[in-house]
Amino acid sequence: MRKSFIFVILSLLILAWITLNDLVDDWGRFEGGWENLTAFVSESMWPPNWSVIEAQSYPVCEKDIEFFCSVGYLGMIETLKIAFVSTILGFIGALCLSSFAARNLMPMYVAMPFRLILSATRSLPSLIWAIIFVIVIGFGPLAGVLAMTFYTVGYLGKLQYETFEGMPSDALEVSKAMGLSHTTTFTSVVIPETGNHLLSQLMFMFEYNVRHGTVIGIVGAGGIGYYINTYMKFLQYDKVLALLIIIFVVVVVIDLMSLVVRSFVTDEGDVRRPTWLKAMIKLYRSRNSSSE
Amino acid sequence: MVLENLSIGYNAVLASEINARVHPGEVIAVLGPSGIGKTTLVRTIAGLVEPIDGDVELKVEKRGGLGYIPQKLGLVRHASVYHNVNLGARASLPVLKGESEERKKRVNSALVALGIEEKTTEPVRRLSGGQLRRVATARALAQRPSLLLADEFLSELDHNTVDVVIAAVKELLDAGTSIIMVEHHEENVALLATRVWLIEGERLLDFSIEEWKEKGPAFDGFWRR
Repeated sequence: MRKSFIFVILSLLILAWITLNDLVDDWGRFEGGWENLTAFVSESMWPPNWSVIEAQSYPVCEKDIEFFCSVGYLGMIETLKIAFVSTILGFIGALCLSSFAARNLMPMYVAMPFRLILSATRSLPSLIWAIIFVIVIGFGPLAGVLAMTFYTVGYLGKLQYETFEGMPSDALEVSKAMGLSHTTTFTSVVIPETGNHLLSQLMFMFEYNVRHGTVIGIVGAGGIGYYINTYMKFLQYDKVLALLIIIFVVVVVIDLMSLVVRSFVTDEGDVRRPTWLKAMIKLYRSRNSSSE
Repeated sequence: MVLENLSIGYNAVLASEINARVHPGEVIAVLGPSGIGKTTLVRTIAGLVEPIDGDVELKVEKRGGLGYIPQKLGLVRHASVYHNVNLGARASLPVLKGESEERKKRVNSALVALGIEEKTTEPVRRLSGGQLRRVATARALAQRPSLLLADEFLSELDHNTVDVVIAAVKELLDAGTSIIMVEHHEENVALLATRVWLIEGERLLDFSIEEWKEKGPAFDGFWRR
């Protein structure tokens, strides 16, 4: 088993290497690349310019704390709002479609058209959706929301129906034998059984949409991407780096939130485990008692 | 329920020319060595596996008429005990038709009958093996199907739990349910069964319990193998 596993991994690596070698015309391109990168980062990007979390000169800040008038805050909040709304709408839309696209819940002749719809929505990247909606309804966050909602439906829909297809079949078989309706089976068996994965995908998609908010902002669909695009045009890469760091922090926070939210539906929440806090309290108490 | 010239199996035929009937209130114990096709027979009757040949004629309500307890019990692990038992009640009393009071009554009496009324809000994934079987039986009890298919649902249970589960099953029988159960333990067969189906080779042999008591020992070494 172990040998065959190593053999498969090695074969895949060799295959990838051969394909890459076929794609690359000249390996000499790597020459001087690292020096170029370090020169670019040290001269143009580093250190990050934290003026992005200070109040903008215009419009005049009327809030007590300057940070709330800053480009970093305003852009990030708009991106978070766009990502939040489009993730929720996309998640619900994807659930409706994927419940009909899973082969273990529906016969193939029903599942196939729904899979095609999801593939079609997914095949356009969110950037193209954003361009389409900017043309249809003009610049602004609404175009961003619609673009990301459409992309979320296609992307989450696929993840969802594959999750449904991978769930253990015994509970579904019982529902089928008992004659439960599709709606009851879906809402009362499939969703609770796959809740952990659905939540994880939901949080991942939210994080993905936050990160992608930067990209779609570039075509004028609102959010922090709008500011990144502006700074890039003026070659202010130090400000771009500061905004990228803000996005990184937000993504890490979302990841931590995902961990907490999912603990309600996984076995993990049932198991008592030592925590850092408890370990530190124990250490503190033992030191105190020994000093007495 | 009528089985007519039924052939069962997945890729290869496991048993063929099965002709049998189940009358209301009967308890059929399906016996035979491992891998002979007992579970496949039950799954074919449940409509989960297409028969290779022949027919299964079920004279039960399409919604909620058939109950099923598979070997792995088929519980919703990440939902509460109440949710799982309620699914049984919802099968025969759909939410759209109202009757929520009747559903609640059925679920509560099933929980009490199986002695799991204190576990109502507990997620199923936290329960022990014996408790899980009680929940699966409670689901069937709340459903009150005309025909219950149970695959080894009494195996690996302590005596106390077997007594509780059998008492609940008897309650179902009183309500007119027929049961087809796959079983390995002779004492459980003796406790409940009114007929025995023995799968031998590719055939299904049908015995009344009296005949089985007489002829069973002759097959003893065979079905225990």
